[in-house]
Amino acid sequence: MRRSLRSGLGGLNLLGLGVVATTGGCAWDAPMTTVVPRSDFAREILHVYAIITWATVGIALVVGVTLAWVLIRFRDRPGAPPPVQTRGHTALEIAWTIAPALVLLVIAVPTIQVIFRTQAAPGPGALEITVLGRQWWWEFRYPTLDVVTANELHVPAGRPVALRLDGPDVIHSFWVPQLGGKRDVVPGRLNRLTFTAETPGEYRGQCAEFCGTSHANMGMRVIVDAPDAFERWVAAQRAAPGEPLGLAAEGKAIFARSACVGCHTIRGVSTGALGPDLTTFGSRRTLAAGMLPNTVEAVTAWLKNPPALKPGAKMPPLGLTDAQARAVATYLLSLR
Amino acid sequence: MTITWLTTVDHKRIGILYGATAFVFFLLGGVEALLIRLQLAVPHNTLVSAQTYNALFTMHGTTMVFLAIMPLNAMFFNYMIPLLIGARDVAFPRLNALSYWIFLAGGIFLNASFLVGAPPDVGWFGYANLTSKQYAPGLAVDFWLLSLQILGVSSVIAAVNFIVTILNMRAPGMTLMRMPVFVWMTLVVQFLIVLAFPPITVGLIFLMFDRFLGTHFYDVAAGADLHLWQHLFWIFGHPEVYILILPAFGIVSEVLPTFARKPLFGAPVVIYSGVLIGFFGFGVWSHHMFAAGMGPVADAAFSVATMLIAIPTGVKIFNWLATLWGGVIRTTTALHFAVGLVGLFTIGGLSGVMHASPPVDLQQTDSYFVVAHLHYVLIGGSLFGLFAGAYYWWPKMTGRLLGEQLGRLHFWVLFAGFNLAFFPQHYLGALGMPRRVYTYPPDAGWSTGNLVSTVGAFGIGVGVLLFMLNAWRSLRSGAPAPADPWDGRTLEWRTSSPPPVHDFDTIPPVYGRDSFWREKYGRPGAGGGLRPHDRQPTPGAGAPVFHLPAPSHWPVVIALGMGLAAVGALTHLAVVLVGALLTVSGVFRLALEHHRTPTHEHQTGELGLDHRKVGMWVFLGSECFFFGTLIATYLAYKGKSVVGPEPHQILDIPVTTISTFDLLMSSLLMVLALAAVQRGDRRQARLWLFGTAFFGLIFLGFQVYEFIAFAQRGLTLQQNLFGSTFFVLTGLHGVHVTIGVLWLLSLWVLDLRGRLAVADAVKVEIAGLYWHFVDVVWIAIFTLIYLIP
Repeated sequence: MRRSLRSGLGGLNLLGLGVVATTGGCAWDAPMTTVVPRSDFAREILHVYAIITWATVGIALVVGVTLAWVLIRFRDRPGAPPPVQTRGHTALEIAWTIAPALVLLVIAVPTIQVIFRTQAAPGPGALEITVLGRQWWWEFRYPTLDVVTANELHVPAGRPVALRLDGPDVIHSFWVPQLGGKRDVVPGRLNRLTFTAETPGEYRGQCAEFCGTSHANMGMRVIVDAPDAFERWVAAQRAAPGEPLGLAAEGKAIFARSACVGCHTIRGVSTGALGPDLTTFGSRRTLAAGMLPNTVEAVTAWLKNPPALKPGAKMPPLGLTDAQARAVATYLLSLR
Repeated sequence: MTITWLTTVDHKRIGILYGATAFVFFLLGGVEALLIRLQLAVPHNTLVSAQTYNALFTMHGTTMVFLAIMPLNAMFFNYMIPLLIGARDVAFPRLNALSYWIFLAGGIFLNASFLVGAPPDVGWFGYANLTSKQYAPGLAVDFWLLSLQILGVSSVIAAVNFIVTILNMRAPGMTLMRMPVFVWMTLVVQFLIVLAFPPITVGLIFLMFDRFLGTHFYDVAAGADLHLWQHLFWIFGHPEVYILILPAFGIVSEVLPTFARKPLFGAPVVIYSGVLIGFFGFGVWSHHMFAAGMGPVADAAFSVATMLIAIPTGVKIFNWLATLWGGVIRTTTALHFAVGLVGLFTIGGLSGVMHASPPVDLQQTDSYFVVAHLHYVLIGGSLFGLFAGAYYWWPKMTGRLLGEQLGRLHFWVLFAGFNLAFFPQHYLGALGMPRRVYTYPPDAGWSTGNLVSTVGAFGIGVGVLLFMLNAWRSLRSGAPAPADPWDGRTLEWRTSSPPPVHDFDTIPPVYGRDSFWREKYGRPGAGGGLRPHDRQPTPGAGAPVFHLPAPSHWPVVIALGMGLAAVGALTHLAVVLVGALLTVSGVFRLALEHHRTPTHEHQTGELGLDHRKVGMWVFLGSECFFFGTLIATYLAYKGKSVVGPEPHQILDIPVTTISTFDLLMSSLLMVLALAAVQRGDRRQARLWLFGTAFFGLIFLGFQVYEFIAFAQRGLTLQQNLFGSTFFVLTGLHGVHVTIGVLWLLSLWVLDLRGRLAVADAVKVEIAGLYWHFVDVVWIAIFTLIYLIP
């Protein structure tokens, strides 16, 4: 595995040579890199990726060097005799029909093996999660755990996760590159994606199918927890929200009498279904599908005018005063 | 002077019109691209809004594909194909003008969306259901879909024209295998257009009905499957890639041999591989859908099919290398661009092989890796090919030489700018940057790559400006071009630069490939090596008078009518009616204006068939795909309706059996009518022509009755998927029958006036072909929709 990983990086290095030279270093380890796998699925993909990269870079070099050599060697020189009018060479042409076919065979075999391996039905121990892509945020439901959350998906390391992808509006695509390839979320069509995350950590993902105005702002985080940390997270999600105090209590009152309740669920307070479930809002790291840090300032600004921060956002400005918005923000962040 | 350009039917002038218009659209698309790159130059940029950005990339893609590269290719088809096959014009000069004017109407209509502040913003691929009324209210999507329909009509008309031209108008001795490779690639492209446009036309018709009339083709709540649009779009969309690139392959296959002074290496193999690419091109569309969730079996099958295309493509590259090998290479600007294509397309082709593998594609698709790939194919391939063609054929088209030094500067600036703009995008894709995002965060690691890419994009812009400067200087004060400036190998260099209106004073005889080269230097091998021939290209002056097709103003009228109808669809029904009336009357006048011109009677060509008959067969091939798509959709949606009524509750087999029998009998009458016309029996001809039309009318009467009865029993267009698919399929068939009836009735009226002589039998024959086809389609519909439960 390590070898194929290294060879993959080596091949990509060649491809990215020009860029790398200008950026002054090899920076493959970005938050959404496709070449530093952290799940079995992503690793399987990189295995094929590396083989193909080597093959194609090799062919590109052969063609490029030949082309350059031919152009130098056969350049018109004064007094050069007219060339022989060669019309073709059957054996040569057969040879260079067969050669690419052989290279393709080398690519096709692992490709097909990996297709079937990565799309196999998940085993009985897999954690089922329903992913709903919505304009422009993600909803994650854990039917067996009775947990609903948004934009931040928690999964345990080392246990297979079976995603069922569905959506109520337009097509989206679930993509967390370090955990594997993307799969479209097609309304009316149940798609599946299975992977086993390897290393605890935070992985960034984003909608990869153009889905309207704020497609660029439809990010997500996948937080891979160690098994015991995952259990603690589930327990926290299921705990009944405590009664808020002070400013937060004021915020709860405003929330309960405003339009908020029409779209959002907070267990025990409201049952709206159009926007994200806010029952444990305060436990999330980001706001608005990964756009903003989940701080009082950001949440206050968001509550005052969501479309100003996120173009096209379906949540309208609520007409809250600064003080009211701050109170609601304090309340929401107290929900952990 | 200007007015003659409005009515011209000269293929050379139409070629120039295509080129000039497409270049303007190309500049527009380029400005859109630069705005895109400026917005992405730095993270969290606020130069344009999300909405504007989405419109920019939609319009950039749609413009470059349909309004720039396709019509720039059409410029060379128009100008060069008749010259390359030794013909005096295309088979249908007025249809040629018609396709240009319809293209112009479509292009203007699409861009008019900017003026009313509703530019399309759903991507050039317009995935359903983002295009539905619910998610895209307003006019933007209507502009997009109507202009695509208009442009499709233009492309299909032109394609039929060029297939007939190439098959039927070759000079004596120009066998198929002696045709220059550019002509071959053009032929393949025209077949791709004829067969690939019907699926997207049908897909767009569905979208039109969904948006304007409330059908449910892309309505998930009614049971629709959103993969339908993706399949229809990519069955068109992938052949479209070859429609864009194969002409460039053809140009390179002309330019390399000329400047290496050697024949194209393995020409037959290059031709066969082009044909094979076109053929495979129809079997690989789903590789655009590996992430869509088709299942492992479909993924594997389409993956292998896609990889197979790499073989003929690779063969072409090797043959081009072998053409240069051992040559005496003159490094002109045209050669620079041709070689640039070989190198850059190799990179684009190989990155294509990478995402032919579904696992890899799952990481690359919809990321900047694919943006890099497609631009290596469409700029590195198509655009470099077009520039190679521009430098190669400019002297022939204008009679002036382009500056070689400025040309080389143009090449190097464009080459550097292009690689700087798009090579880093491979890297951005590998780092997970998704496509179609108007902004990105600063901590994603994408900032440097994007900035470099933006700088490169402006390099491309400078390159294009250098070309414009070169063109301007050449037109103003360029050195006059001789007839054969490059020591060319093919027939276009045998006539003056620019060619006379009638192209050739005498139709050149053709004795083999590279016919003109042989004429100049003798057969290769004979007499030992090369030997300049004293024969000079024939000058155009003092030539005898030739019959040339008369100019016509009806193409402009028809295009205007279509544009008006589209405007009406967005404003007022009355405008649609005026536009439709203008279109229909224009078509009638166009059809009848040369009914009595004697020189239009003999149109038998190389295949021994009349042009019009070949054209009709080609058109019917296109129609097969049209109805095939409609019927396939009906079958795919069968039993998917979420509410009743069901087919078995509605369809009335006894009644439809009678109307089917009626339509079958009309085919019999059609045969009698044609036989009567052919033997000059005027009385019988009139009787049977009218009889056929009358039986057609009876069929239409049955259809009207059927539609009303079904509606009364609760089945309407809007009721369910069954209603939507049934009425659109049978309704479009009914439209075909109506056109047939009108056609037959006009022939009947001509006959009544004594204007349908034996010599006009071919006119009845092509109407008959159409009529029989429409009947056969009905038999398929009757069997598959009515009889099979």
